[in-house]
Amino acid sequence: MKTFVRILLVTLLPFAASSQDCESIVRTCESYLTGKSGSVKFVSDGQVYTAFLDREKAEFKTTFFGGSTYRIAASAGTDDEYVIFTVKDPNGKILFTNSKYKNAPYWDFKVQHTIPVTIETELDLDKKVTGCAVMLIGFKQ
Amino acid sequence: MKLNFYYTTFIALLFIGLNSCGGNDSKESLDKEALDPAASLNTNFDGKIFSIPSPVQTAMLIKELKLPFDGNMLNAVENAKNYSTEFSQAINLGIYGTDLGYCALYEQKNNALKYLSVVEKITGELGLEGAFDKNFMSRFEKNSEDQDSMVVIVSDAFRKADYFLKNAKRKSTSSLILAGGWIESMHFACKMSAQSNNTKIAERIGEQQQTLNTMIEILKEYNKSKQNDALISSLTDLKSDFDKIAIEYTYVAPKTDVKNKTTTLQNELKVTISKELLASISEKINAIRESVIK
Repeated sequence: MKTFVRILLVTLLPFAASSQDCESIVRTCESYLTGKSGSVKFVSDGQVYTAFLDREKAEFKTTFFGGSTYRIAASAGTDDEYVIFTVKDPNGKILFTNSKYKNAPYWDFKVQHTIPVTIETELDLDKKVTGCAVMLIGFKQ
Repeated sequence: MKLNFYYTTFIALLFIGLNSCGGNDSKESLDKEALDPAASLNTNFDGKIFSIPSPVQTAMLIKELKLPFDGNMLNAVENAKNYSTEFSQAINLGIYGTDLGYCALYEQKNNALKYLSVVEKITGELGLEGAFDKNFMSRFEKNSEDQDSMVVIVSDAFRKADYFLKNAKRKSTSSLILAGGWIESMHFACKMSAQSNNTKIAERIGEQQQTLNTMIEILKEYNKSKQNDALISSLTDLKSDFDKIAIEYTYVAPKTDVKNKTTTLQNELKVTISKELLASISEKINAIRESVIK
């Protein structure tokens, strides 16, 4: 019986931890779009990007339209320096990576002319090997 | 004694797992599915990520160009009663959500409240009351004089709905809402382009090439019971036009202002789209929209 309960505990522990992680991480990320006092007005693109990363990268393509300022916010836990995000141009050239700036949890992009981009997300393996990563994108004109 | 400890820990962990997924102000119907830890975990392991730019951005461009409000472009609220399948409800939620954003931007308070009510109706039918709850409604009504706040509030609600649907393994519904939003924003852009001959709008249409590719990909990925087949086929036909648009990208090194955590992207992008091609795209967008709002 003890063994059975132990197995159950071991099996359920990651489920409980993971689901808890993701929900609270989404809230942390949301605060980067609104600012702590709610004063920053970035309009959400209406999507939540989540990935359970395990020593791998998640990537997706999007378009940043000219004349807008975008904010990318990313988090993988209460310590906000776990996530590395990299923005690449259509030729795969790196335009920005927060790894150069202490894995800053959010960054703004002033876009003069429209550009299709690829955004890569990964955990900083020196700090966290596996876990839920959340990214949000907001914009203002 | 030890056994009691294990049982207590087990129940406690289960409780933590279940409680951790619920939003602060979600309704019970939303919580039941969102609280399923297994659903959440599976979703997070689900590899592909797709991104569709917000349809509100096209409406913002239209307003920025000082083009007048055109209520005739919107999907009539009366049509909402015709949407009885999850497919038509989801895609038209995206359409009505974009209409609502457009009305809010132009400070069309009465129209905005009309579209808010139809959005509320469809979200109820889709089980998304948690995202468009009483808190959302009262925030929206309180801020109905402030177009910026209204747009932020509506977009936040759509983000909440997106998160809920992804966690509840309803990505096909989520992708249809995005598709509806994109189709409606393209409809606005095509109408305004025809009316005004404005090159900025024509360029914005051409700049949707990558988004259209992603749209087709996402609809193929989450094609529950082949319900998206007709739409995918129409969008693939539309893609044949988009592939003819000439897009010339030139890299220019970006500038970063570390203090303000801001990077300015200075690239160039030249979009060349002929009048004939624009007319063909407009015609196809119109046909696609008509087929989903009927």
